[in-house]
Amino acid sequence: MIDSFYLAWRYIVFNRVKTITLVLCISLISFLPFSLKILLKESEHQLMSRAITTPLLVGAKGNSLDLVMNSLYFSKEKPDFISMKAVEKVMDSYLALPIPLYTRFHARKYPIVGTTVDYFEFRQHNIADGRSFAMLGEAVIGVGVATQLNLKVGDSLLSSPENLFDLAGVYPLKMTVTGILKKTNSVDDKAVFVDLKTTWVIQGLGHGHQDVKTIQDKSDVLSRSDKLVTTSTKIKQYTEINLDNLDSFHFHGDPSIYPLTAIIAIPQDDKSATILRGRYLSEQKNKQIVRPKRVIEDLLGNIFQIKEFIDAVVFIVAIAMVLAIFLVFSLSFRLRQKEINTILHLGCSRGTVVQLIVAEIFIIAIFSGLLCFSSLLVLQNFQGEIVHKLFIS
Amino acid sequence: MSINFLFHKDTVINITMNRSNTNFVSKIILFSGLFLALNPVVAEDKPLNIYAVNYPVKFFAESIAGDHASVTLPMPADIDPAFWEPKAEDVAGLQKADMILLNGANYAKWLPKVSLPLFKLVNTSSEFRDAYISLNEGVTHNHGTGGKHSHTGTAFTTWLDFSLAEKQAKSVFKALSRKQPKLNAGFVQNFIPLQKALLELDVQLTEIGNALNGQALLGSHPVYQYLRNRYKLNLESVHWEPEEAPTEEQWNTLKALVAKHPAKWMLWEGVPVAETVTKLEELGIKSIVFSPVSNLPETGDFLSIMNENIARLKTISN
Repeated sequence: MIDSFYLAWRYIVFNRVKTITLVLCISLISFLPFSLKILLKESEHQLMSRAITTPLLVGAKGNSLDLVMNSLYFSKEKPDFISMKAVEKVMDSYLALPIPLYTRFHARKYPIVGTTVDYFEFRQHNIADGRSFAMLGEAVIGVGVATQLNLKVGDSLLSSPENLFDLAGVYPLKMTVTGILKKTNSVDDKAVFVDLKTTWVIQGLGHGHQDVKTIQDKSDVLSRSDKLVTTSTKIKQYTEINLDNLDSFHFHGDPSIYPLTAIIAIPQDDKSATILRGRYLSEQKNKQIVRPKRVIEDLLGNIFQIKEFIDAVVFIVAIAMVLAIFLVFSLSFRLRQKEINTILHLGCSRGTVVQLIVAEIFIIAIFSGLLCFSSLLVLQNFQGEIVHKLFIS
Repeated sequence: MSINFLFHKDTVINITMNRSNTNFVSKIILFSGLFLALNPVVAEDKPLNIYAVNYPVKFFAESIAGDHASVTLPMPADIDPAFWEPKAEDVAGLQKADMILLNGANYAKWLPKVSLPLFKLVNTSSEFRDAYISLNEGVTHNHGTGGKHSHTGTAFTTWLDFSLAEKQAKSVFKALSRKQPKLNAGFVQNFIPLQKALLELDVQLTEIGNALNGQALLGSHPVYQYLRNRYKLNLESVHWEPEEAPTEEQWNTLKALVAKHPAKWMLWEGVPVAETVTKLEELGIKSIVFSPVSNLPETGDFLSIMNENIARLKTISN
């Protein structure tokens, strides 16, 4: 038996191109259904874990999937904005606790999540190093952001302009990192958390600038009266909030119409959730309230339908592949007829020939299996990131 | 001068927590758990850790909660709480509170610059938002260590209208009852005398207002808007500080004001410096203290100081 394997091995090594091709084909066809299963399981886990723990989401009327994906996974698709009035509406309903979210901006490639400190308690996140944000302009970062950008407590992080060509846009804000979250194994690891008001400063709704009463450069002042000073846009605006200039930061306009992307609503109980949902269905013309679990279940339903289709395709391809491999082997044996005859002339039995062929197939199958298994191991290692890129971001 | 556009939108959570109605066995147990985790009912044997933004609200909370709460006024005693500038460590303390009692009416100017847990904020004046008094103009100035500020936006000394003060106290009572429902009976017992005392002050001031019958008065600082409106006082304010002698410009402003508003009395937040009192008397204006008692008083409490204020104001009407 060992002799048969030795001869089979020598044959395989001699015909390495054919062997490698066969191994690759078999590995690939085995890898496809398993990899799909792993990725779908991971996507289900990732999508559902946050959806289950987020009872209700309030957002602008429109694509509910965009709303859920942006609010739960900080995806790039931004829903239409709602205003702070919606937070008051939820609070005044006495039915749920609201956590506002504003996920419009980025720092480098990481989303800036404007919220309140309640978010950490809601998600049960703890600070590994430093403290939560306390003042305007402070940020708490996920462990992934800290690692990738090599940031530690006390370092600074600049917000990115929304549009590189928006030269007249607001200045990037230099945020101070006050805390790093413990690993959460969620998208929060790769997010920058700031107070809601800080995101409004990034947007330009709030800003700080030099004291207009003490401006020396006359070209900075367009008009001046006892009660009003109108300055030109040349006036020095602060791009960093610190203790020295914090007092100069202020907001313009009515804060109740300041924008948000969504509100996480935590109902008191099932009844409160139902009543609140009913109110949005009947009263709110430009807002919607969704159950993220339901939206994600629908999404996963679609994904699983696609999976079933892909499984069918893979099955047909696999049959074709098996037939092709059978053909390769049968043609190979026909080509090797002289070789087989020589083995028989040497006194070997037909059983030995069969043993040789089985050994060859077994070795190829083992290699294919190993390659498939190791590929699946690699995939499993990166499944989180792959799923995030494929289904979430 | 309309330079500093400050905003503040006080928020309030008035979630009715009725545990008996909560189906803890239902599938929503997770969300109820979250709700309770974020808005916990504190164990009754543990005193509530409450922060207040000014002394009147602190007084209301202490009077109602008694030993069941430790109420902190986080700012130093020598500054106006409305213009306090907290540091990050102060905010960290506030973030750990069980409840943060706000005055509302754009009172704490520092609120838009800090991050506080939304669920723990209780705006004691949210019930009468419509009664807030808007201010159209103000002058930027500074006093003490509180930094520069102006009184533009919304008048915030709401508690000087004692009918509103009673509503604020009621709001504190409701918030405490929600937080510790089992102690409700004790809170009611403590709230009733406080409510009675506040309404009594309201009656007394209404009588004084009627007796004054439109007599012109001056306020040393623009903090008496609610007092003026509720008790029909004919009061105009300047921007003076009791501990500082007014500048020549401020005297000129006063003279111009007195020319069209012939007041004989000026209400002060604190005891004014002797030099100012003398100079005012030369103009035929006498000084009396009507302290809003925004920060912790050295002696007495909210009610005793308000009674003293009213007693002094009564001397004018007599």
